[in-house]
Amino acid sequence: MLDVMPTGDQQGVRVLVVDDHPMVRTMVRLACDERNGLAVVGEAGNGNEALELAASLRPDVIVLDLILPGISGLEVVGRLALEDSTARILVLTATDEKTAVFEALRLGVSGYVEKTASVDEIADAIEAVARGELVFSKELERQAQVQLGEFAKRARETARALARLTPRERQVLAVLAEGLSTRQIAKRLGLSARTVESHIGNIYEKLDVRTRVQALYRAAGLGLVDLITKPGDQQERGRQ
Amino acid sequence: MKNRIDRGGSARPSLPVVNVVLVDPLSVVRSGLRLLICGEPDLTVVGEAATADEALETLRVLARRAGLLALVGLNLGGQRDGYWLIREIRESFPSIPVIACGANSDAISISRALFFGADGFVDKTARPGDFLHAIRRGARREMVLEGLPPDWMAPIADGIGRHRDRAAVLTGREREILTVAAEGLTSRQIGSRLGVRERTVTTHLFRIYRKLGADSRVGAIAAAARSGIITMGARE
Repeated sequence: MLDVMPTGDQQGVRVLVVDDHPMVRTMVRLACDERNGLAVVGEAGNGNEALELAASLRPDVIVLDLILPGISGLEVVGRLALEDSTARILVLTATDEKTAVFEALRLGVSGYVEKTASVDEIADAIEAVARGELVFSKELERQAQVQLGEFAKRARETARALARLTPRERQVLAVLAEGLSTRQIAKRLGLSARTVESHIGNIYEKLDVRTRVQALYRAAGLGLVDLITKPGDQQERGRQ
Repeated sequence: MKNRIDRGGSARPSLPVVNVVLVDPLSVVRSGLRLLICGEPDLTVVGEAATADEALETLRVLARRAGLLALVGLNLGGQRDGYWLIREIRESFPSIPVIACGANSDAISISRALFFGADGFVDKTARPGDFLHAIRRGARREMVLEGLPPDWMAPIADGIGRHRDRAAVLTGREREILTVAAEGLTSRQIGSRLGVRERTVTTHLFRIYRKLGADSRVGAIAAAARSGIITMGARE
C-alpha cells in the first residue's frame, strides 16, 4: 500500500498523508488538488509506512491521523522528532481522547484539525502549517490548557508524596508494586516481616490510604513507582 | 480603598464579583492593573501588596471574603519571591485561585509557577480584554495561559516534568538539610538545629551533591532552588 506519486512541481508543498481510511486519504488528496502549490507525494495506511515514507520522500507536511493500526500517531510524531525530520505535522483526527491535543502539542505538532473539517479548511490548514504557522482552534487550545493544568497538579502531588517517603519506604513500595507478600518483601530486602509491616503502615499513612490495593492504586496514579524505580531518568520528550 | 470606575450602562446587576488581590513590587504596575480591573462591573481590587509578606497578611485579613483571587507578579524578588508566595498561598489558602503574572516570561519561569501551584499564567503583554477574561476564568478555577503561543505548552510541560523528577531524587530528610543549609549554616549548626550529628549532616550533604550533580554546597543549593526542590526563605 505504499503509494508514491511523483510530482513535477518541485516548488510546491509536498504532502504525505497518513490515515488507515482510504476515504480520508482521498479527501486530503482532493483538498490538495484544488490548491496550486499543494501536492500529495505519498500515502501511508499505518505508522510504520508513515515512518518509511517520511524518511524516503522527505515531505514538507505530514497530515497524520492519531488512531492508526500498529504504532500510534503520537508515537509516529515522537519517532520522527528523534529522526530529525523537518516535516511539519498537521494532525487530522477524530479522536475524542481528552489528552490527545495536549500530548500532540507536547510532541511539537504544528496543527490539529478535527475530521469534521471541510476540504477547504484542511487545505487552509496545510498551507498555514507549511508557512510555519500553528493551527489550533481556540477551543482545542483551551482543552490542552486544561490538561496542562491537570498535569501540573499531578506533578505537584507526586513530588509532595515522594518527598514524604523515606528511601526505605520507597524501596518497600517498589517491591510492593511487584505484588509480593509481606513475607516475600521481607526476604527480598533482608528485613523482618514486622519491620516491613511497619514500613507499609507508614506508607499507608503518608499516602492517606487504608489498604494495599488503595496504596498501589494511589502510587500508580501519582506515577510514584515509575519514578522510584527509575530515579533521575529524565528523558526529554523528543520534539522538533 | 475601592477605586471603581463606573462606566455608565455597562453595569449588569447581581454579577458575581471577583475580588482581586494585586501583588506586584511596582506601584505603577499595581495602579495600572487596578484601573484596568476596576473598570469592569464584575471585577474589583480589594487589596494590594508589594511583597510576599504583605500579600499573605492581606489574604489573611480578607480570607473570609467570597470570590478572592490573587494575581501574583513573578517579578517579586528577594528571598520570598513570587514562586515562594504561590506555594504559600496554595498551602495556606487552598481555595483561593492564584494567577501568576509576568512580562516576557520564559517557559522555565512559567512551568515553575504552575508546578508551585499557580492556576494559570497571564502575560502582561496580553491584550486588556484577554487579560480580564483570563481573570474571570481563573476565578472559576479554570486553567488559563493567556498571551502565550500554543507551542509554548511543550516546553512548559517539560519544565513541570523536570521539577517532578528532581523532587524524586532527594528524600525528605535531604531536602530538610539542604533547606537549612540554604540559610548559610555550617554543618555543625545544621546538626544541632535538626538534632543529628555533624558527621551525619556531612554524609547527607555529600549524597545530595552527588544526586544533584553539584560539587559544592552553593552549587547544590542553587540547583535545588532552581528546580523548586527547596524554596529559599521557606520554613519547612
